[in-house]
Amino acid sequence: MNSYAPILVLGGLAAGFAIFSVVSGMLTGPKRYNRAKLEAYECGIEPTPQPVGGGRFPVKYYLTAMLFIIFDIEIVFLYPWAVRFDSLGWFGLVEMVFFILTVFVAYGYVWRRGGLEWD
Amino acid sequence: MSALALIGPLTADATTPTNYENLSFFGRDPWWLILIKVVAVFAFLVVTVLMAILFERKIVGYMQQRIGPNRTGPWGLLQSLADGVKLMLKEDIIPTAADKLVFIIAPLIATIPAFLAIAVVPFGPANNQVSIFHHRTPLQLTDLPVAILYVLAATSIGIYGIVLAGWASGSTYPLLGALRSTAQMISYEIAMSLSFVAVFIYAGTMSTSGIVNSQHSWWNCLPLLPSFLIYVVSMVGETNRAPFDLPEAEGELVGGFHTEYSSIKFALFFLAEYINMVTVSSLAVLMFLGGWHAPFGLVSVWHGANSGWWPVLWYVIKLVLFMLFFFWLRATLPRLRYDQFMKLGWKVLIPASLVWLLAVAVVRTLKNEGDLNRSHLIYILGPVVAVLVVLWIVSELRYRQTSAVEKAEEAATAAKPFDPMDGGFPVPPLPGQTLPAFTPRRPRAALVGALVESAEASELEAGDPDV
Amino acid sequence: MSVLTSLLAASPGDPTNPGGGLGGATSTVTNTFTAPHVEYRALMPMLVVFGAATVGILIEAFLPRTRRYWPQVGVSLAGVVVAFCFVVANHGMAETTAADAVSVDGVTLFLQGTILLLALLALLLVAERGTGLVDLDAFTAQGATTPGSGGERAADAAGLRTTEVFPLMLFSVGGMLLFPAANDLLTSFVALEVLSLPLYLLCGLARRRRLLSQEAAMKYFLLGAFSSAFFLYGVALLYGYAGSVRLSDIATAITSSPHSDVLVLAGVALLAVGLLFKVGAVPFHAWTPDVYQGAPTPITAFMAAATKVAAFGALLRITYVALPGLRWDWRPVLWGVAILTMLVGAILAITQRDIKRMLAYSAILNAGYILLGVISTTSKGVSSTLFYLAAYGFATIGAFAVVTLVRESVRGGSDSGDGGEEDSVTVGGEATDLSAWAGLGRRSPLLAACFTVFMLAFAGIPLTSGFTGKFALFTAAIDGGAWPLVIVGVIASAAAAFFYVRVIVLMYFSEPLREQGAGPIVVVPSPMTTVALTVTVALTIALGVLPQMALDLADKAAYFVQ
Repeated sequence: MNSYAPILVLGGLAAGFAIFSVVSGMLTGPKRYNRAKLEAYECGIEPTPQPVGGGRFPVKYYLTAMLFIIFDIEIVFLYPWAVRFDSLGWFGLVEMVFFILTVFVAYGYVWRRGGLEWD
Repeated sequence: MSALALIGPLTADATTPTNYENLSFFGRDPWWLILIKVVAVFAFLVVTVLMAILFERKIVGYMQQRIGPNRTGPWGLLQSLADGVKLMLKEDIIPTAADKLVFIIAPLIATIPAFLAIAVVPFGPANNQVSIFHHRTPLQLTDLPVAILYVLAATSIGIYGIVLAGWASGSTYPLLGALRSTAQMISYEIAMSLSFVAVFIYAGTMSTSGIVNSQHSWWNCLPLLPSFLIYVVSMVGETNRAPFDLPEAEGELVGGFHTEYSSIKFALFFLAEYINMVTVSSLAVLMFLGGWHAPFGLVSVWHGANSGWWPVLWYVIKLVLFMLFFFWLRATLPRLRYDQFMKLGWKVLIPASLVWLLAVAVVRTLKNEGDLNRSHLIYILGPVVAVLVVLWIVSELRYRQTSAVEKAEEAATAAKPFDPMDGGFPVPPLPGQTLPAFTPRRPRAALVGALVESAEASELEAGDPDV
Repeated sequence: MSVLTSLLAASPGDPTNPGGGLGGATSTVTNTFTAPHVEYRALMPMLVVFGAATVGILIEAFLPRTRRYWPQVGVSLAGVVVAFCFVVANHGMAETTAADAVSVDGVTLFLQGTILLLALLALLLVAERGTGLVDLDAFTAQGATTPGSGGERAADAAGLRTTEVFPLMLFSVGGMLLFPAANDLLTSFVALEVLSLPLYLLCGLARRRRLLSQEAAMKYFLLGAFSSAFFLYGVALLYGYAGSVRLSDIATAITSSPHSDVLVLAGVALLAVGLLFKVGAVPFHAWTPDVYQGAPTPITAFMAAATKVAAFGALLRITYVALPGLRWDWRPVLWGVAILTMLVGAILAITQRDIKRMLAYSAILNAGYILLGVISTTSKGVSSTLFYLAAYGFATIGAFAVVTLVRESVRGGSDSGDGGEEDSVTVGGEATDLSAWAGLGRRSPLLAACFTVFMLAFAGIPLTSGFTGKFALFTAAIDGGAWPLVIVGVIASAAAAFFYVRVIVLMYFSEPLREQGAGPIVVVPSPMTTVALTVTVALTIALGVLPQMALDLADKAAYFVQ
């Protein structure tokens, strides 16, 4: 059988377990209505009004997300290179050194421009 | 340190690099065996989590001179189970402001992928199989040529669960907590993924069984010590555990992304977090600590240590030790500030792991191409050491400079007279400042009699100045 | 770069990865992966340009703000010049390299040389900062500040300079060098993105009329991203059809495949959308006027000239190397596109009142002419396209260089913040309205003469490069059997001559507005713009008077490797 089949079975079991838990949790628990209980929790003070369907994320996090993508793409290139490292020899090393140095240049730029500062 | 670690495998592994990637042992099980194994690993995860929660409370308790839970079952063994049942029977609250569908789906998205990673964890050797109902099978659910990538992918999906939970709650603290949590997990995932690259270079494969196999003579944590250390730090950040548990910093964010969750949905997030701990610990064991291999030296004494069911024991021991390490950290270290935490991830771990990776790659290539012997190491390590020394001197000079500046500042503040009511509020003294000499108000008793006065005044000077 | 391309190129049909490596149970992967051979000499022009761009980023990161300008200018110019030397040294080369991802042949080298020369001239325009008396910086002090905000004023007052434009432009040039050389569609796509992304940014960095500039950048980005998606989807369909993204494999699959043609036709159509968008052909031209108008003029010059060269290079390679077997399918479509492009370009240009918009429609019109060369599917068609691209590029850069020098006068105001006297007249933004150009010939005869040369070249008047180029294009098209197109082309030229000559008439035979106190000022630039202007005028005339050498070069360069 395919080596992915056990993963599917495990995923099915996990999904069954999780969905069963959520559904039965909804059914077994008590239901006592209380308006204050259903308000957003803010340590007892009046909740901050939220836009319907969730708020907007601060733009700072997009910067983190984009930096993450840059490095994640780098890693995507590094993995196959690492696995075939021995057969690539000097060629692979030199090319990858150039690649990593290039990413380092961008990294240095971001660093110097304060893209990695949190306050 | 890193230089010394590199010399080891150079001498020990002189043969041409072996290709460990052999997946022909997998994908051959009949359906009933798959079912048995799936249920077994699932049960293993759930029981490990239940035990881990209990042990955490016990150990943290002992470290704080307490006993921990001890009422439910012998030695409190059934405590986690009882908690689970109790949570199940609690009211399931969905706040009015929440996005209902996403709010319900989020814990599922966090939990289900968390279970998946265990599928490729090897509990025993692939080629030295055990017999289950007269059917020979490896002690591993399955293996893939891209197993580690699969683990990373599966665990990354869990992040969606967290960010969706925070977003769908319709509340301030969960939103902030979810964003912190996501930013933290993706930041530390980079360092974590980078620390694997050196292991792949050594193992020549991404399949878990191959990686464990390749460590038969040396566990990777020795030659790749920096990678291992980077991984250990980033794995704690990746699982949002103390001292990196900023998303759940109760002083700032109440409960973080799951503030609005209750009942079994909350329990599912809890479950996912602990399963992720098991997953990253498993990865640490199989990538750096030799996986199921018996501890050093044991095989030379006892040849059967790595065959049959015994590897499961070694694996579980290593796993448990790693989990204990997590609990130890929680009991010992205070939480980091968020900017310090991000700085550590982006400005220390990532460049460090990239530089280390380059070092590994260069040395490995030199060795592979046959150009390397001991004398060449001087030429390679010389400049590296020189650069490190220069960097150390520079940083030392800088430190002295800044500390001189700090001292000057401190002296400046010390020179300023301390005003205990600065800006109209009572303030504590800064470093270098001293409280002005305290002159107690004359007690009213003094008006009454001189005898009483002398006694009370001496008492006040010796004791509480706040009166 | 080359790792990237080789990895991309190695993935499909890679013998070490049977069945995508997902088989698991039976895959006994062996270590037979061999490193692709990379002919670094052939890649040197791109590597040098990308290297210079990287050095530029380091300069940005580690030099103090006030000391970045000259190193940036030096590195950029040096990078482009060295890359050009490598292109010259590679002449006559015909090979594919980096796992067949890049093909270096006559067409590639000719276009790379053209792009580098155009980039050099455009860099001179970008580097223009005025002479100390007047500040001619075309770029905003700080791109991140909101237009009209206090932050912007503070950045202006602090004298900040956006020197990032140099590395950004070099990255774009690098992508342009790769685009016509890409021998497989994935490399094409990577090159397309590398050349486009910096351009999107550069478009939004204008110093004056920043909202217009940012709007232009936004439009260009959205539409460009959309067209890239079309391109990528086309690549996917062609890969599904041919089982490879390599151009020569697609050509083989087209002639020999038993499959239905639907997939390949749909793929080619989507691919064409992406390419024709970059070229600016009707009906994918809508972005051109807005973006050309809003972008900083040096960037408009660069974009109008060099992007067109690169995109037509890629279009030539894809149609001539991958799709000769489908000639009877794509030619009628391109016929339609060419006719539409020429007519729409010519007619809408007549109605324009803004000089930059007029030049934008002129760019559309010229894209139509160049399509004639692509359609003819002969070697003569290729060589005439090459020649026309070069001729058009130089004239365009020159024309926009003139535009940067005609400025509005701001009476009494102190735009640069130095607090001039009440009656003084300071230099404002570019005076792009056609009415402002009236009588320019009387006040600045030299500048007007330069602009006249470019207008005559665009109109295709003999003794200018435009005439030679158009003549070569039309002859090639007639040889290729596309005579109806040539007729449309001639009609469009006649219509176009009207609005080109109208500008000349306006400059020489109209009363200047100066007397009414609202007339423009012609500023004296630093040697940078002067050099660029001189070179473009000289080349435009030289290619018209003595075109034979350049024509021979284009003839010799008109060959592809598979």
